[in-house]
Amino acid sequence: MKAPVKPTSDESGDAVTRRRLLSWLSGFGLFGSLIITAFSNLIFIKPRATYGQPNRFSIGKPEDFPSGARVSLDERRVCIVRDGDKIAAISTTCTHLGCIVSVSETGFSCPCHGSRYDQDGNVTGGPAPRALPWFQVSLAPNGEIEIDKDTEIEAGSYLRV
Amino acid sequence: MSTQRASTWKSLIELPENVWRSIFRNPLPSSDLGRASTSFTNFFLHLHPVKVHRHSLKGTFTLGLGLISFFLFFILVVTGILLMFYYVPSTTQAYDRMLDLRGTVAFGIFLRNMHRWAAHGMVAAVFLHMCRVFLTGSYKPPREFNWVLGVILLLVTLFMSFTGYLLPWDQLAFWAITVGTSIASYAPLVGKQVKFILLGDSTVGQEALLRFYVLHVAVLPAVLSLLVAIHFWRIRKDGGLSRPEEEDALPMENPEQLEVLRGPAMVMATSPAAAAAAAPLIPKRRYGIQGLVRGPFTKLGNVPDRSEFAWPNLFMAELVVFLITVAGVLTVSLFFNAPLEEPVNVMHPPNPAKAPWYFLGLQEQVSYSAFWGGVGIPTIEVLLLLIVPYIDRKIAGVGRWFARERLLANFLFLTFVIVNVILIIIGTFFRGPNWEFVSPW
Repeated sequence: MKAPVKPTSDESGDAVTRRRLLSWLSGFGLFGSLIITAFSNLIFIKPRATYGQPNRFSIGKPEDFPSGARVSLDERRVCIVRDGDKIAAISTTCTHLGCIVSVSETGFSCPCHGSRYDQDGNVTGGPAPRALPWFQVSLAPNGEIEIDKDTEIEAGSYLRV
Repeated sequence: MSTQRASTWKSLIELPENVWRSIFRNPLPSSDLGRASTSFTNFFLHLHPVKVHRHSLKGTFTLGLGLISFFLFFILVVTGILLMFYYVPSTTQAYDRMLDLRGTVAFGIFLRNMHRWAAHGMVAAVFLHMCRVFLTGSYKPPREFNWVLGVILLLVTLFMSFTGYLLPWDQLAFWAITVGTSIASYAPLVGKQVKFILLGDSTVGQEALLRFYVLHVAVLPAVLSLLVAIHFWRIRKDGGLSRPEEEDALPMENPEQLEVLRGPAMVMATSPAAAAAAAPLIPKRRYGIQGLVRGPFTKLGNVPDRSEFAWPNLFMAELVVFLITVAGVLTVSLFFNAPLEEPVNVMHPPNPAKAPWYFLGLQEQVSYSAFWGGVGIPTIEVLLLLIVPYIDRKIAGVGRWFARERLLANFLFLTFVIVNVILIIIGTFFRGPNWEFVSPW
C-alpha cells in the first residue's frame, strides 16, 4: 500500500524548493536584463557630444560697445550692457519658457507670454519665475571680451574695463 | 493518358475560380451561416464579432467617434508615408521641402493639407470620443482598463501632433518646440534631463529636428498602433460596446446565471475548445460558438436575441463612417491650405507665438504659472482621468447618454471639458502681442 502523496512544498509555499529558487533567480535575471536594457537605451539617446553653439565665446573689443549701450546679441542670446567703464552680460532667454526677450525702454519684455523685466533683469510682471541671469564676463589676453554662459554671477556685478 | 490530359486541362480552366476560392473561402453570403462564416474567416473582418448587439449599431449612441479617430489615423499613416518620400529632416532643407510640396510635387500641397487637417481632426475626434465614453458611463467595469488605454491614446495623439508640427521648421515649429520643451523642463527632478534628451542639445536645432522626426514617423506610430490594437481587442473581450442593462432583458429569477452571463470571458467564448473548457465548471449551460451557432452571446434558456449579423449591418455602418471621414478630410483640404509660417528665425519669436488651437488652453495656463499651468495641473488632470473608472464603479446608468444616476460624475466631467474649452477660446481669440488681453471685435 502506498503512502498518501504529500503536497509539495512548492504549492504550500513554506519551504524553498529547488524549483522555486530557480524560478526566482531566472525571474530576477530576466527582469534585471530588462532594466539594464532600458537603462542602456537611455544612456544611448542622451548625447555625449553636442554640435550646438559653444557656451564660452568672445564678442569683440570693449570699444565696440560705447557707454550706455544695451546691445542684444540675439544669436548668442545675451545682452551686453555698458555703463561707463562697467560692462556686463545679461541673458535674453526668458526664464519662463525660453523665448528670446527683446530690449525695451523699461528693460526687457517677452513676446511669448508677456513676462517683463527691468533694466537689471529683475521680474516686474508676467509669469516669469526668476530674474534673468547675469553671465561671467572677462577680458581675454588678446583684449577681447569673453562671456561664459556656464557661469552665472550675481546680478549687478560688472567687469571694469 | 487522355484522362491525365483532361484533368490538367480542367485544372487550367478552373484556375481563376480556384485561386479566387483559395483566397476568399466564402462566396458572398446569402444565408445566416454564410454571414457568420464571412465575418469569421476573413482576416480583416474577424476583428468583429459575428453578431453585434443592436444597441451598438445605433449612430446616436456612439456618434461613430472611435471609428472616425481610427480612420483619421489611417489617413494620417497613408498621407504621412507619402510625404516621407519628399521630406528631409534637416534644418537647412526642411522648409524648402515644404515649399517644394507647394510648388513642384504633384498633389504635394493637397497631401500636406490632408495630413495636417486629419491630424487636427484626430485630436478633436479622440477628445470627443473620450467625452462620449464618459457621458454614457462606458468606462465602468469591466471596461476600466480600456478607458485607461484610451486616456493614454489621447496623450500619444497629442504628442504625435506636437512632434509633427516641428517638422516644417517654420517659425511656429521652432518657437512651439522651444516653449514645449521648456515646459517639460519644469517637471520636478527629471525635467532638465528630459528636455536635454528630447532636444539632443542644449538648444533647439538640428538634433531636435532629427529626434522629433524619428519620434513622429517611427516610435509614436508604432506605440499608437499597438495601443489601438489592444484597445480594439479589449472592446470584444469586455463584451462589446456598453449598453443599458434592460437591453439584455435577462431572466431575472436566477442571479447566479446572471452573473455568469455578464462575465466578460464567458460572453466571448469563441472557440469550441474554450467553450468546452468552460463548460464543465458550470453545469446545464449552452454556449454559443461563433460561426456555428447563431449569436456570439452565451445563451441561457430563452433569451430574446437582440443582435444582428455583423455582415452586412456593422460593416455597412463602418463603411459609411469611413466614407464620411474621407470626404470630410478631402473637402477641408480642397478649400483650406495647411498653415506654413515664415522660415525659422532663431532671433525673433513671432509675437504672439501661438501653438495650434488644441495647445492654446495649455499655453493660456502657462501664461499664469509655468509649473502649475504646464506640469502641475495637466498631471493632476491626467491622473484624475486615469483613476476615474477605479473610483466610480457603480453600475448604474451605463450605456445611456446623460443618465440621471450619473448626474454628479457628468457634471464634474463637463466642468473639466468646459473649463478647457474656455481656456482654448481665450488663448485663440483673446490674446494678442505679448500675450496681452485683446478683444477680437
